[in-house]
This record gives sequence, C-alpha cells and structure tokens, in this order.
Amino acid sequence: MKGKARKALVVGGGMAGLEAALKIGQAGHEVILVEKEANLGGTALLLSSTFPKWQDPLEKLNLKLEQLKKLPAVEVYTNTEISSCTPNGSGYSLTLRNNLTGEETGVEAQAAVLATGFDYFDARKYGEYGYGTYPGVMISIEFEEMLREWKKGLKREKAPGAVAFIKCVGSRDRIKGYPYCSKICCMYTARQAGMFKELFPQASCYVFYMDYRAAGKDYEEFVRSVMEEKEVRYVRGRPAKVLPYGGKLMVRSEDTLMGVPIEVEVDLVVLAAAAVPKKETLELAKSFAAATNQHGFLEPVDGFTAKAGTRVFFAGGCGFPTDSAGAQQQGAAAAAEVIALFNQD
Amino acid sequence: MSFQVGSIDRTFRDELEMACNVDLDQCWECGKCTGGCTTAHNMDYTPRKIIQLIRIGAVKTLMSCNTPWVCVSCRLCVDRCPAGIDIPRIMDYLREKSLAIKDHGPGVDDIILFHKLLLEEVYKRGRVSETALALKFNMQTGQYFKDAGLGQKLLRKGKISPFSSKVRDLNKVRSFFKQEPDRREV
Ligand SMILES: Cc1cc2nc3c(=O)[nH]c(=O)nc-3n(C[C@H](O)[C@H](O)[C@H](O)COP(=O)(O)OP(=O)(O)OC[C@H]3O[C@@H](n4cnc5c(N)ncnc54)[C@H](O)[C@@H]3O)c2cc1C
Ligand code: SF4
Ligand code: SF4
Ligand code: SF4
Repeated sequence: MKGKARKALVVGGGMAGLEAALKIGQAGHEVILVEKEANLGGTALLLSSTFPKWQDPLEKLNLKLEQLKKLPAVEVYTNTEISSCTPNGSGYSLTLRNNLTGEETGVEAQAAVLATGFDYFDARKYGEYGYGTYPGVMISIEFEEMLREWKKGLKREKAPGAVAFIKCVGSRDRIKGYPYCSKICCMYTARQAGMFKELFPQASCYVFYMDYRAAGKDYEEFVRSVMEEKEVRYVRGRPAKVLPYGGKLMVRSEDTLMGVPIEVEVDLVVLAAAAVPKKETLELAKSFAAATNQHGFLEPVDGFTAKAGTRVFFAGGCGFPTDSAGAQQQGAAAAAEVIALFNQD
Repeated sequence: MSFQVGSIDRTFRDELEMACNVDLDQCWECGKCTGGCTTAHNMDYTPRKIIQLIRIGAVKTLMSCNTPWVCVSCRLCVDRCPAGIDIPRIMDYLREKSLAIKDHGPGVDDIILFHKLLLEEVYKRGRVSETALALKFNMQTGQYFKDAGLGQKLLRKGKISPFSSKVRDLNKVRSFFKQEPDRREV
C-alpha cells in the first residue's frame, strides 16, 4: 500500500489539531477534522492577547485557517462529535454526529489524532475563595472576556479599581488531588495582569504567587517587564480567604517574604484555575485505546512523543497544559508520526 | 539571630513527624495556613514559620516561642493546607514538649500558668469558675488589682458569681484526665 493516500481523523480544531490536520493534509493524505464547536480555533478564540509577545492570537489562527482552505483533502466537520468508534485492525470505523441536526455520518480512518485541549478545575471546590458565591470572583478564562471588551474600548467605565490574581488554584494541591503544576498559568496571569495595568495604569494590581514559573524563550523577560514596567505588585503567598468587605472583596494571605499576615482590598479576584483533563477526552481515550497517565492526560507510549496507542496520537492540552506554541509543535509532531505510520503501511 | 542550618540533627523533627503523622517535606511554604489563622497576628512565628523552624531544627526557638500557646486549635489551617499538614497536632506536640522546660519567655510562662490553673479548676469542680480562675491567675502573676473594676461590675450584674459550684458527677469529668494535673509548679 506504499504511496497510497490514506485518511486520518483529527478530533479538536484548536491550535494543536489545526497544525496536525494541516501537516497531514500537506503531506498528501486525507483528513477529517472534527470540531464540536461552531468555529475552529479552540481556546485561542477566547484570548485577548498572548504571552510572550503580546500578539493577537487571531493573527496566527487566521493564517492557519487560510492554509487549511487551500487543502481540499481536509474535510472539516464543525458542531460535530464522535458518537461511536470501533477499532478495525487497520484503523477505526467511526460515526460522527452533528450536534445541531443530529445527522450521523459513517467514516473510516487509518489513524486518529486527539487534540481536544484541557478543562478547568472547578474553583467552587475552594469554598474559601467564594467562586460561584461572590460575583467579583472569576476564573482566568472568564477574565479574558473582560479584557477583550476593554481592549475594544467597551465597558471601560465599569473597570475595577483593584484586581487580585490568585495563582495555583487547584494546582499543586495534594488534598484536592492535583499535585502537578499546570505550567501555563504563571505566564498567562502575568500577561493578564500586565494587560490590565496597560489599559488602566491608575488601577492597583496584585499577583499572589507561590512561585513564578517562566521557563521558556523570552518568558523571564516577559514576567519581569510586567513587574517592572507595568508595575504589577507580586506578593508571595497563597491566599487563605476571600471575604466580602463593604461592597468590595478582601483577600487574606501571608506575605511569606515578610512573614506576616496581610489583607488586601480589591474589587475583583481572578483565579488561575488548574488545567485538568476533559471528561469527554477520557471517554475518547477509552474508545481509541489511548494511554493516559494517573491524572487522565494522554500519555506517550513506546518511546514516541505523540503516540498513545497503536494508531492513535495526541497533541496539545489533552496531553498536558501547554502554551500555544507548544500546542502547535505537538500538532506537527503528531502529524509526523501519522505520516511515518502511513508511509510504513 | 542566625540559625545553624548545616549542623542540625534530625532527631527532634523525626520524632515529631512520627508522633503527629505528618511529612514536612510536603510543605510548599505557601503561607495559606498563616493567611487563614485566627491568631497569627499574635504569634512570634507564624504557622508556616513553625514548619520551617522544625525543618531547620531550631528546637530552642520552638520551645520558647509563644506560637503553640497562642494557637487555639481551630483547625482552619489544616482545612486549607494544600499538603494537609496537621498543624494543630504539631502545636499540641510542641506544647507537650515545651511543658517539660522551665524557662519560656515571660509572656509564654503566663499562658502556661493559665492553662494549668484552668485544668486544675476543671479537675477540682468539673467546671471552670471564672472568678476563682481570674483571681488565682492575677495573684500568681502579681497583677493584684487587674480586672478588679470589671469584676465588680460583672458581679453586680450577676454575670459572675463569687461562689464556685461543682458539677454533679465529678468522677465522670475526672475520668477524662490521665492523671491529676501537675501542681508542683502552680
Ligand atoms: C486563560 C488562558 C490564557 C492563555 N494565554 C495564553 C497566552 O497568552 N499565550 C499562549 O501561548 N498560550 C496561552 N494559553 C494556552 C493556549 O490557549 C493553549 O495552549 C492552546 O490554546 C491549546 O491548544 P489546543 O489545541 O491543545 O486546545 P484548545 O485550543 O482548547 O482546542 C481544543 C479544541 O477541541 C475541541 N474539542 C474538545 N473536545 C472535543 C470533542 N470531544 N469532540 C470534538 N471537538 C472537541 C474544543 O472545542 C476545542 O476547539 C492560555 C490558556 C488559558 C486557559
Ligand atoms: S504555572 Fe504557576 S500558577 Fe500555574 S500551577 Fe504552576 S506555579 Fe502555579
Ligand atoms: S499551608 Fe501547608 S503547605 Fe502551605 S505553608 Fe502552611 S503548612 Fe506549608
Ligand atoms: S489551629 Fe492554630 S495554627 Fe491553625 S489556624 Fe487555628 S489558631 Fe492558627
């Protein structure tokens, strides 16, 4: 069968899935790209800007979408999910279901790439932060929407006078079951705080941190510029409580560098909720017989970087939280492994 | 003040970890315990610092600081600690250990005296008589006229009584005690 065009399924049209679909398509194979939302793009569609270069995430996304349009061999199914998957020896027999029309389509694919991204820790599990109880407490992805509106010049009159960011919410917590570091929240919190101060230089902005993790190209410089140029106040401590306080919110913490308990009054609290595996990805992993680790993130096997089972590969946040560049790199790596597999068939 | 970190011996820490069923290597030094602590503002060393002091083996400081005696065992710290470290159990342990020592700071000695007097009251009557306890404590700490004004007011309003009553079944209360409260130093 050497040289014969084969078909790959890509589940999830975020940065990782898009890159995988593009590369497999550019190598001359057919691709079915399945996205459950109405639009391709995934999390990138929700972001107001990106670290480490303050780029508009839509710039790169649009570039990718244009490249995709030039590849007729990539069939895109939006509003669609996989309703059944049966391994058949040389690949998978699948049923796709359109969530709007209920219409089902049967397809065959000789390899699959899972690129479904990650989910967020349910911040209500920290009763002490009042998420879901106090309207001024939100998680980072919700704050992106406010930033996007302010950036467009909307609702600026309602902007808060002071914001506190709390990092490691759920992450690095053995008791809540997530001992790992979610890897990207230090960076996006710095970016959100910096952007907020850029928009409202008069406002106060605090970042409560246990560590700030900035191991990446241009990352350390990025976080330092947020502290030094945007004048975001970093306070070392994991807050213990958020309380309503005369129409505002009071954050209680220890300033662990001073070794004293402190209280900070703010209007808004932004929680960097841990990245956790999506439940539906776990189900997909089961039906594709893909390996997962103890937390439920997809896991490479046999010394590969993106292979999770015989004919199933993965990329991006469903393997572990990653920045957008990492998602793209992993998408390319998954594509390389699929192409190599097809070449050996 | 500098601590000799390099030369410490782990005995104290190992014994404490065993007795309290904690693993202090798991502490993130995040301060969430302190941020929520009811009484941290009155402590010489915050709960997080206590963990650090144990880790560096600063036994002398641990035995003389007021922290374990200021802790009210409310358990907010354990409830929120991302490592589940049982700090109130550690505070208990430090209280037990430091009781054997004579010289704490002046503030701490008073707190210990108060603890002992209170337990003695419970042992004697099965309950605490505030008047008797306050009087004894003030006498023994040389604060002869402290609370005198307030005491009179409370007496007049019937909030406290000059007579100390006993509970009906004293033996039941006494059965909570492993031994008679130690009165040698009281
Ligand atoms: C608050 C926040 C801020 C961030 N800021 C930055 C930043 O400044 N710079 C940066 O580099 N990175 C940033 N990131 C990280 C970046 O968003 C991610 O790395 C990247 O979007 C991950 O891409 P992905 O393709 O793996 O996942 P996603 O973009 O989440 O895409 C997954 C796609 O799969 C689809 N999907 C899921 N399940 C199914 C299913 N069962 N069937 C079909 N489709 C499915 C989803 O609808 C989605 O479209 C941020 C992340 C967050 C949460
Ligand atoms: S990336 Fe930063 S904020 Fe996120 S879990 Fe790791 S240390 Fe905490
Ligand atoms: S809350 Fe727990 S992990 Fe954090 S400093 Fe206190 S004891 Fe250590
Ligand atoms: S148990 Fe003690 S140390 Fe812990 S929060 Fe309560 S007073 Fe503070």
